[in-house]
Amino acid sequence: MSLGDFILRNALRNKRRSFLTTASVAVSLFLFVTLQVAVREMTIPPEDVSASLRIAVRNKISLANPLPARQLASILRMPGVAAVTPFTFFGGKFKDDDSLGFAQFAVDPEKFLQLFGEAKISAEELEAWKRTRDSCIVGKDTAKRYGLKVGDRVSLVGKIYPVDLELKIAGIYEGTIDDTNMWFHHKYFDEAMNNWGQVGMWWLRAENAEVVPDLLRRINAAFANTSAEVRAETERAFQMSFVSMWGNIGLLINSICTVVVFTLALVTASTMSMAIRERFRELAVLKALGFRRRQLVACILAESFGLAFAGALAGVGTAAILFSSGKFSFFPIFELTPRIAGFAFLIAGLLGVISMLAPAWSVSRMSVVEGLKTLD
Amino acid sequence: MNTIVSIRRLSKIYGAGETEIRALDAVSLDIEFGEFLALMGPSGSGKSTLLHIIAGIDRPTEGECHVQGVDVAKLSESELADWRNQNVGFIFQTFNLIPVLTASENVELPLLLTAVAPTRRREMVATALDLVGLSDRARHLPGQLSGGQEQRVAIARAIVTDPNLIVADEPTGNLDAHSAEAVLEILRALSCEVGKTVIMVTHDPRAASRGTRSLHLEKGRLLTGKEDSIPSV
Repeated sequence: MSLGDFILRNALRNKRRSFLTTASVAVSLFLFVTLQVAVREMTIPPEDVSASLRIAVRNKISLANPLPARQLASILRMPGVAAVTPFTFFGGKFKDDDSLGFAQFAVDPEKFLQLFGEAKISAEELEAWKRTRDSCIVGKDTAKRYGLKVGDRVSLVGKIYPVDLELKIAGIYEGTIDDTNMWFHHKYFDEAMNNWGQVGMWWLRAENAEVVPDLLRRINAAFANTSAEVRAETERAFQMSFVSMWGNIGLLINSICTVVVFTLALVTASTMSMAIRERFRELAVLKALGFRRRQLVACILAESFGLAFAGALAGVGTAAILFSSGKFSFFPIFELTPRIAGFAFLIAGLLGVISMLAPAWSVSRMSVVEGLKTLD
Repeated sequence: MNTIVSIRRLSKIYGAGETEIRALDAVSLDIEFGEFLALMGPSGSGKSTLLHIIAGIDRPTEGECHVQGVDVAKLSESELADWRNQNVGFIFQTFNLIPVLTASENVELPLLLTAVAPTRRREMVATALDLVGLSDRARHLPGQLSGGQEQRVAIARAIVTDPNLIVADEPTGNLDAHSAEAVLEILRALSCEVGKTVIMVTHDPRAASRGTRSLHLEKGRLLTGKEDSIPSV
């Protein structure tokens, strides 16, 4: 037997209590990392390699207000524009899925890959999509979720616009940050809407990063004092404007995290105090046998730290496995970063130290004689 | 014979003022190597306090307590811990074994603090358990042993580091007559045959009669007229 074995036996002597303590740490830290990852995803949206060149142009009043299709000609004439596509969120209902299972966008298929070049799709399928007006392409995650394949026909019931769409799947793409979206011809949507002459937004790609600031200024100026003033912004700024709609969600979630950690500290401290108080007499015997004060404190610390660490391993490990499966949340990416995982383990370490402080103080002050008088 | 314990005008006072309790009052005493000394007296007479001070788990208020030439009252907490580990074996009335450790692991506990190699430790544990006749119970947990067996494991734990001094605080107090007899016989053998010094606190005159000498305490003082010298059994 080693001292390590001795500490392990003590930690597991009341298996139910040890399990419940470890489970409470695991559940709390799972909640902690989930909230932290959620905050991160909300406040730092993911970006791909082309994001720095992409510009979103929306109605200055709000995202819900459309823009006139005639603006396209003006935008195309601006120096520095490499490609531009109309971009309208359809928001239709698929099958009986009342929740928004996946997003659908009307775009110009000819420009799609110029703007979203990270999408991987076979040349045949891309050509088939371009050729067929009522066709669409679907991300591989959505295809997998609903069992869709090339050639299938899908119906979307309009929930925002008063039209339903019948679409044929021409291809399945992958390789983007969010492989759940459906893309179809804007012209097909325009026809369904009786050529309404409007678009939801414009998305364009700049020729290079240097021209982006000037391009933003030009676009905003071009439509100033018109019936449809615009706000042109980089993809990053556009995403951040979405984030701002959440309000100060970061403060709220971090407050919840603080409460979770504080409660957890109280629970583990109470458990460790109880576990040590029950063994006061045994600890006095160990002192009589020659164990020094610091050795006993080290044993208590190892036990407390071990339980907290086991809980952290279970909680953070479960989070890592769940998040990496990609099925955990509605965020396109829900990634447990090393920083967040490390922070969770740091909290576990601090919990281990904090929860042993009171018991260690009692044990270090305990005289052998007083300890031996303690009732079992 | 050589003196292992030399006590001079030892006092222990608890509290102060009106609540002052003089547990030991200027006790002087010499104990020789190999003695089996029985300390007797009514409850509160100070016999356990005297035992605790000799064993280095309590400190006197006044006086000197030399054990093997070391004034234990002057050692620091850490020095005392090391000293106890090397020089004193403890036997308690309630056995005080660690319930989650087997008999052999309980016996091994004091050796974990030494530099003895694991293989040598196992040999020493086996020898100690053999001496108390419990080799066949080495893998049993305390809960699987009888009271008498538990106390014999505690004796094995007390002797495994080969200390010269063994202190026993009412070692037969929780045992039936048969088990008590077995425990006393082991203590007697440790004293008479192995040469260990055994100091035993007891209320039981029959247990005390197994010792080579018995001393009576009352109100913290040794009763000089009640010192018995008992020939070795």
